[in-house]
Amino acid sequence: MPATAADQLSTVFSALADPTRRAILAELADHNATVSDLTATFPISMPAVSRHLKVLEHASLISRSQQGRWRTSQLEAAPLRDAAAWIERYRRYWDASLDRLDAHLAAIQAADRR
Amino acid sequence: MDIARSQLSMSRVVDAPRELVYRAFTDPAQFAAWWGPIGNSVLRDETDFDIRPGGHQRWTEVRDADPDFRVYIRIELTDVADGRLLEGVLHARGDFPDDIEPFNSALRIEFHDEPGRRTRLEIRQSLPEQACGPSEQGWREVFTKLDAALTSNAADQRDSQT
Repeated sequence: MPATAADQLSTVFSALADPTRRAILAELADHNATVSDLTATFPISMPAVSRHLKVLEHASLISRSQQGRWRTSQLEAAPLRDAAAWIERYRRYWDASLDRLDAHLAAIQAADRR
Repeated sequence: MDIARSQLSMSRVVDAPRELVYRAFTDPAQFAAWWGPIGNSVLRDETDFDIRPGGHQRWTEVRDADPDFRVYIRIELTDVADGRLLEGVLHARGDFPDDIEPFNSALRIEFHDEPGRRTRLEIRQSLPEQACGPSEQGWREVFTKLDAALTSNAADQRDSQT
């Protein structure tokens, strides 16, 4: 763990500066994943995925745990987790509303045609 | 990436012409008829829209199973393009369950034509400060820097493509 908050921020920022690592975090926001899951998702080699995971783990953005034969990675940093939870909550809210919008628009268009 | 950009972004195509979809968002009676998940209702009497830059959209949501549960939403509209754009700051206050705090959040809804007289909605909603943790000032800074980095990356990529 880096010594000071400022150190931690710069470690986090340099970990997040790489687009592949951001994409990996986005993937882990949806679900925990193993190295081979991530290798299947991204066009990079297994050792490359491992290197990215090591950087993310060092920045405390993810943690890794052994499950059976595989180590799975999960999103760790509380603020990112909170942010992901907020986004997920409101995505569901919007989805549910827009489903009702679909039905509403279908109903008023059907009424117009009559 | 949504989290790093600290916003919710959604794209959705609905099967109706753009003017009709825009009206469903801006006509109070229509809006009250569909907004919110099933189980929530918008009180028609407390829905007040003034659609223009500097105007507002105000409404009250109740939970059908618990009429004491009320949420008061106010959007201060900053930018409006008739039939195409609604943008503003959403303020939510009210009797939230324990795990939700009142929040402010920037909201942008774009209405685009799609083939077949359909409409594509592009929705962006920013994370409220609280969702990043009130004691996590530093994370705001990270998100802000990252936003800038992502934006300039995207610009670089666009430039290199042209």
